[in-house]
Amino acid sequence: MTTLRYLIARNCKLFFKDKGTFFTAFIAPLVLLVLFVTFLGNVYYQSLRASLPEGAALSVSVENGFVGGFLLSSLLAVCCVTVPFTANMIMVQDKVTGRISDLRIAPVRASALALGYYLSTAVISLLICLSACLCGFVYLAVIGWHLSPSDVFLCLFDVALLVLFGTALSSVVCRFLRSQGGIAAVTTIVSSVYGFLCGAYMPFSNFSSGIRTLILCLPGTYGTVLLRNHLMSGAAEAAAETLPPQAIEELRKAFDLTMSFGGNEVTVPAAYLVLCGAVLVLIGVYVALCAFGKSKRK
Amino acid sequence: MKNVIEIVNLKKSYGEIKAVDDVSFSVAEGAFFAFLGVNGAGKSTTISILCGDQPRDGGEVRVDGLDLDGNADEVRRRLGVVYQNCALDQPLSVRDNLKYRAALYGITGKAFEKRLAELTELFGLQDLLRRPVGKLSGGQRRRIDIARAVIHEPKILVLDEPTTGLDPQTRKTVWGVVEQLRKAQGLTVFLTTHYMEEAADADEVVILDAGKIKAQATPLELKNRYTGDFITFYDLTDDEARSLGMPYERVSGAVRVAVKNTGEATELVRNYPALFRDYEITKGKMDDVFLAVTGKKCGGEV
Repeated sequence: MTTLRYLIARNCKLFFKDKGTFFTAFIAPLVLLVLFVTFLGNVYYQSLRASLPEGAALSVSVENGFVGGFLLSSLLAVCCVTVPFTANMIMVQDKVTGRISDLRIAPVRASALALGYYLSTAVISLLICLSACLCGFVYLAVIGWHLSPSDVFLCLFDVALLVLFGTALSSVVCRFLRSQGGIAAVTTIVSSVYGFLCGAYMPFSNFSSGIRTLILCLPGTYGTVLLRNHLMSGAAEAAAETLPPQAIEELRKAFDLTMSFGGNEVTVPAAYLVLCGAVLVLIGVYVALCAFGKSKRK
Repeated sequence: MKNVIEIVNLKKSYGEIKAVDDVSFSVAEGAFFAFLGVNGAGKSTTISILCGDQPRDGGEVRVDGLDLDGNADEVRRRLGVVYQNCALDQPLSVRDNLKYRAALYGITGKAFEKRLAELTELFGLQDLLRRPVGKLSGGQRRRIDIARAVIHEPKILVLDEPTTGLDPQTRKTVWGVVEQLRKAQGLTVFLTTHYMEEAADADEVVILDAGKIKAQATPLELKNRYTGDFITFYDLTDDEARSLGMPYERVSGAVRVAVKNTGEATELVRNYPALFRDYEITKGKMDDVFLAVTGKKCGGEV
């Protein structure tokens, strides 16, 4: 355990000492938030208004809280997976510089080294994503706060769970990378594509049924649904004071607060189950890859 | 003296290429052992296998009496490795680098502070401890790299081409530190290099070529076996050189004549006393030995 603690401390310190990488990883979610608000804010406001029954209107605070919640959930859904790819750069750099050889010839289990990378990436990503989440909460508090304490707690839990998912996914991918260019390319691809694949950039209802089915098969999507639920349900409940139940149901469907897979509605516990299952499976794959790597050593 | 490394019939192939082909050798405790070979000769593969970082196809490896199979961790505790490329974390301070590497060997807290104090004294690190490794000079960085390799007090210090790409001053620093360690701690030093002259001070030299051992002896024995002596004349004209009736070559203006041994050199002095105005007689160099043994010059084929 002591060795693992030192390995995590070493990896975290290396990440935070590299000001360029740290700054980029830290600033990226905030840049994304600003971009969302500036360029997509109006689109979502218009979508919201178009989803309401004719003649119905929401208060500014509820409107802001609803759209703000959508933007923040999109941002967190993306960042919790893209940030771990940046944080996992330490693992790839150790391979590129050959420092991994020095770590491997120490009397330390390969599993401890692998766990050290996994946990340090999770810690770094969690710090950055929770900071982004707190900035998002400040933004929501300014434009229209409709979150209950349990929503806040569950949102933080979702972030933690998604970070574990993102860390496990990036650990599996980074296991195969052996060059700086490789990790840079993968990070760029993941940053560009993942937002679409997890349904963060556009509500699922906007996609064709084929794409929707594909997206629903990817576990990251369930993280987006969880965040949507915990960041937007409060505003939806406030909207229920002025809108009929059917309109609220339509609104929840249009903005991915509820979704169905194979004709069955995906409940919040089911989404947690899928995401937790995905985390466990990916960690299992990572452990298997590390065990395979270990078998090459004597 | 007891052997601290014993390698018997070691084999390792990558596909069709035999990187290490039935290699056997042993290293005595406290010795300075040199493993010579051009790039691709199989030196680093042997080191990797010795450290348990790569599996082998066949053969036995014993370190300090321990079989590598089943004792890999114990074997690793007995080895400290300095790589060709610095294995330190550049953004971290010297202290942090040593702290995190020591922790891999279970050295933490007071035990680490005690060891750090010893190494600070031995390597003169007092003013460097707080500085990031990336801001240090090449020589300072190499010193820290060696300190990292011996942080857990290994019995054997493996130097895997430690001076490749370094300037002469830094090379001198590296060898100064290694010598200091040998004197202070009685370390066994296992050097791999393709700089032939670095092996000249070794107690035993193994010349490896294409994965096979081509020669194994002390540097003096190798020189006596594979090279003759050389007479260098510093003020000889070509006519005078030709009058010796022996093949010669011009090296930096001087005339260099190869003779079988010191006896033949003495004979020439007797026969041509007038030509021996400004001269020296030297033994062959390790470069000459390597050339004679492998037909290659360090760095490539002849």
